[in-house]
Amino acid sequence: MTAVIHDIGYRRYDGPRLGRFPAALALARHSLRGAYGLGRPAKSKILPFLIAAIMMLPAVVSIAVMALLKQEAISYPAYMVTMEAVIAIFLATQSPYMVAPDLRFRVLPLYLSRPVGIVDYVGAKLAALATALFVLLAVPLTILFIGELLIDLPGPPHTHDYLAALVGGVVLSVLLASIGLALASFTPRRGLGVASVIAFYLFTSAVSAVFVGVLQSVGKSEAAAWAWLANPFFLVDAVQVWLFGTNPIGDGYPPGPWALVIVLVVTALAVLGLLARYRKAATA
Amino acid sequence: MAILATEELTKQFPRVTALRQLTVTAGTGVTGLVGANGAGKSTLIKILLGLLPPTSGRAQVLDMDVGTHGAQIRRVVGYMPEHDCLPPDVSATEFVVHMAQMSGLPRTAARERAADTLRHVGLHEERYRPIGGYSTGMRQRVKLAQALVHDPQLVFLDEPTNGLDPQGRDDMLALIRRIGSEFGISVLVTSHLLGELERVCDHVIVIDGGTLLRSSAISEFTQATQALAVEVEEGLEPLAARLSQVGESVAVQGRLLTVEVRSDETYDAVRDAVCDLDLNLIRLEQRHGRIEDVFRV
Repeated sequence: MTAVIHDIGYRRYDGPRLGRFPAALALARHSLRGAYGLGRPAKSKILPFLIAAIMMLPAVVSIAVMALLKQEAISYPAYMVTMEAVIAIFLATQSPYMVAPDLRFRVLPLYLSRPVGIVDYVGAKLAALATALFVLLAVPLTILFIGELLIDLPGPPHTHDYLAALVGGVVLSVLLASIGLALASFTPRRGLGVASVIAFYLFTSAVSAVFVGVLQSVGKSEAAAWAWLANPFFLVDAVQVWLFGTNPIGDGYPPGPWALVIVLVVTALAVLGLLARYRKAATA
Repeated sequence: MAILATEELTKQFPRVTALRQLTVTAGTGVTGLVGANGAGKSTLIKILLGLLPPTSGRAQVLDMDVGTHGAQIRRVVGYMPEHDCLPPDVSATEFVVHMAQMSGLPRTAARERAADTLRHVGLHEERYRPIGGYSTGMRQRVKLAQALVHDPQLVFLDEPTNGLDPQGRDDMLALIRRIGSEFGISVLVTSHLLGELERVCDHVIVIDGGTLLRSSAISEFTQATQALAVEVEEGLEPLAARLSQVGESVAVQGRLLTVEVRSDETYDAVRDAVCDLDLNLIRLEQRHGRIEDVFRV
């Protein structure tokens, strides 16, 4: 008996060719998996999963407190501000991964020579990072809520707070993703990208804290209320307060929709910066 | 059908003019785009892909205007850039599957096509290893595979033989020939080496400084200067004299006699002369004019 390997030659593809949107969706899915190190070497999984585990700690402790002491330990809307440093580290380490390799290894022209345009590319990367951030926050919040329902504290469950925190999580994710990507996209070097995002976080939180401290000590509490908003995490907390009347983490924010306006303006500026950056890269 | 056509195409950068009123067309098959570094080859490809807007003039790819139908063009065209464009930490398979999806193929089709295409370009077991460990030859194959994976109607190959050793160069050229003939995909391939393109191209476009030097079928390039090389054991001088007598133009180059082929009768004249003079014929071969000759004028 003889085995023959037939060279079947070149076969044409006459199956479906999907449009831009499915391609962009595939890119978003690929990038989202990549943000958690899935489909990447084992060592790329360590940091995102470690951070995700740390994000769970307050939820676990809180459930234990609820079970033992029958009282709420951490409020849902406060979760993101409590964990701001951890979320910032995730943002700093994962946003350069989203954009830097494609710039550094010059993969971008391969995307742009396909139906995927700049808007699709940037949109997919933003959606992927925002989703990754939201998952990071929403999973512990949801586990905490399930815990609360199971333990059945006296009084009604904090459903309103939980939902408010989820909406706040969406706002925070979109805001941070656009800032993170905009900063990271300016350098093809990953280390530099990490440093610039971390520097941005440290700078805003330090400026915010210093101004709040100084303004409060000289008795200008109204100005201090504005100073809180320099920190993106307090900014989103202020949005939650305005939208849902949750308890502010800071000592009160300026009244009115200003926090939301600032969030929208900053997000729009970051996205415009990103698009401009990629328009320039596309013709290079 | 014209796979590409430009009309008075001009591209002006702030400091240089990359293309100057270039009007050129190319049909199906393998078309070579030849020019020195900086002649405007890559700029032309980027304009044809719709990635770079021309300063003035028009360009069409597969009968679609690059200005208005960029997205449709990019669906049915493949592009292999000149520069390195591969991430090191993924395998060739993963990368090519991903790029197939970016061209709009559903996931299962993308997997199938990627496996097929990688086999066609000659990447076998190594396709599961990260690209970071590949040789230049293997990288070029991956770059070619991602350009072919969505079964385009036309591929732009920008300097595909760059950095390859002679063997790799031959393999790549043979592959390009197969893409044009067996795969039925039209090819626009650029090179600054004229000699290597004449082996695989049906048509050659020569540009220099952004302007067209020449555009013609490969047969015209070679026909124009077709000649016969004749080598005999002894008696080169009498043979030359005899051939001149019957009206052929001959030149003695060392031990070789070069006879310009005017028509089929030239072959008969050489045969008769060798017979009549009773010479021992050692060699009688076609001498192709080289594409380089267009620059020697």
